[in-house]
Amino acid sequence: MTAPYNPPAPAAPLVMEARNLVKKYGSVIAMNGADFELRPGEILAVIGDNGAGKSSLIKALSGATIPDSGEMFLDGQQIAFRSPIDARRNGIETVYQDLAVAPAMTIAENLFLGREILKPGPLGRLFRLLDKKKMHDEATRHMQGLQFAIKSMRQPVETLSGGQRQGVAVARSAAFARHVVIMDEPTAALGVREGNMVLDLIRKVRDSGLPVILISHNMPHVFEVADRIHVHRMGKRAAILDPKRISMADTVSVMTGAIRPEDLSADMLAG
Amino acid sequence: MTQPAPASTAPPPRRFQLPSLSTLGPLIALLIAVIVFSSQSPRFFSGTNFSLILQQISYTAVLAIGQTLIILIAGIDLSIGIVMALGGLVMAKLATQSGLNPLLAIGAGFLTTMFFGFLNSQIITRLRVPPFIATLGMLGIVTALNQTYSGSQTLSNLPPALTALGNTFKIGGTAITYGTVLMLVLYLIAWFVLSETAPGRHVYAVGNNPEAARLSGIPINRLTVTVYTVAGLLYGIAALILVARTGVGDPNAGQTDNLDSITAVVLGGTSLFGGRGNVLGTLLGAIIVGVFRNGLQLIGIASVYQSLITGILIIAAVALDQVSRRKG
Ligand SMILES: Nc1ncnc2c1ncn2[C@@H]1O[C@H](COP(=O)(O)OP(=O)(O)O)[C@@H](O)[C@H]1O
Ligand SMILES: [Mg+2]
Repeated sequence: MTAPYNPPAPAAPLVMEARNLVKKYGSVIAMNGADFELRPGEILAVIGDNGAGKSSLIKALSGATIPDSGEMFLDGQQIAFRSPIDARRNGIETVYQDLAVAPAMTIAENLFLGREILKPGPLGRLFRLLDKKKMHDEATRHMQGLQFAIKSMRQPVETLSGGQRQGVAVARSAAFARHVVIMDEPTAALGVREGNMVLDLIRKVRDSGLPVILISHNMPHVFEVADRIHVHRMGKRAAILDPKRISMADTVSVMTGAIRPEDLSADMLAG
Repeated sequence: MTQPAPASTAPPPRRFQLPSLSTLGPLIALLIAVIVFSSQSPRFFSGTNFSLILQQISYTAVLAIGQTLIILIAGIDLSIGIVMALGGLVMAKLATQSGLNPLLAIGAGFLTTMFFGFLNSQIITRLRVPPFIATLGMLGIVTALNQTYSGSQTLSNLPPALTALGNTFKIGGTAITYGTVLMLVLYLIAWFVLSETAPGRHVYAVGNNPEAARLSGIPINRLTVTVYTVAGLLYGIAALILVARTGVGDPNAGQTDNLDSITAVVLGGTSLFGGRGNVLGTLLGAIIVGVFRNGLQLIGIASVYQSLITGILIIAAVALDQVSRRKG
């Protein structure tokens, strides 16, 4: 099921890039010259201790905060997002940690929340009348494409298990992302089986061609799905590791500073 | 490293769309009330009396549409009855003492109630005052305004345009007011907008999970302003229906309508926490309140007890809702 990841040639253009991002909150330096690179079609895990500045980095990339200085690029074009809506317009979808779904509303409604399909013609334009059938059909088709087993798209999200709910959030981002999917701790609140279900879904998103940025504390999960691991430490990128060539224990040591990246053998680093 | 969380088991899928206790309860209460009142008073069970009940509840029911919209976005409006009273006063005073064209007077009344809805929304969205406090403050302000504006006088001798909604037509011998028809039409429109349009669904989303709504790009503040302002327009329409029914502009009108409108919403199964409910349920709730009022009156129970019954109804409805939710 997991298509083998073929690292693109180093010359392949980066999907997202950030250089030297700085963000200060008073005297606290959340980002201290952070760099970032995302390649086409990869799952890039971002790991780091609490307070390392992962969320700050991700918020800058998703438009939720504006960095004090530094540069960001999308497909080589310089970008400056002022809001999450800006990022979304550029095809970047974010799955937020705290389940951004409306529980009493149906799966189809949640998938299309904020960008509903309207009836064609003046009924849609003037009266903002919903094309419920089309929304339902497209939701069904999309969920089937992700092999997401759910009986009815008319089910309220609150009738789903935690994993299925997170699945809806992941599916929504996959449905609308044209460039990048960002996920902040998507498996943190889930049990083993449900976590695996969401990991599966993340792989399917990647296999559909979208690169995924995955913030996670869960090392087994990271090692299971990540193509490369971005280690964040003290406000900047400490190293990019190759999960096929480095152990979990060494990765944690880099993350906590017990091993300096310079002391790793070169083949543990991802290009 | 994170501990794997204990495997959570998926809850069994709920059985689909059975009418929940919270919608079934009020229906049963209504049924029992109708049976009891019918057996106690020969005048209760008749087309004429049912038409009268609808006429009696019509302005409260229109107010309750506004209250439903506001409660769906997890707000509340405690200034609802008093703003309606102000709307009625403006219409009556401009049309009589200022000699304004009655239609313009009605329009001015609508603008007044819309303005106070808009003002509530500004206090809530800009000053970040919780809706309960914002509208409680507005209740005090507009109460004083009503007394000064009217000089505590009831305004009568209204031109026919202001009382037109009180006129009737006959369906098989039963006279029905245009106000009643307008009320029913407004319910259908509200139901349609809430279930079939994007802004309608956004109302539910904002009440259900405001953070999710915001992250989905729904302009929460703009929606809040729209909802309170549209509610304001509905208060204006309610004012016109009331003025037509009573034939006067009354500075003391609307004083029981905070409780009555909230009771109708809650009896109708809309959650006070927002995001869940159905505006047609509110109509059912308003009818229940109306049937109890009317029936108790017919069997000769003093009006203090009517307010007691309304109080019990609202507590019972919410308690029932909580119990059914805990079980669900
Ligand atoms: N909005 C904020 N205001 C003040 N300090 C913040 C804010 N956001 C993050 N920080 C600080 O910046 C540092 C990095 O935080 P964060 O990016 O959340 O790290 P991580 O996600 O890796 O735990 C922390 O010291 C945190 O307290
Ligand atoms: Mg964080």
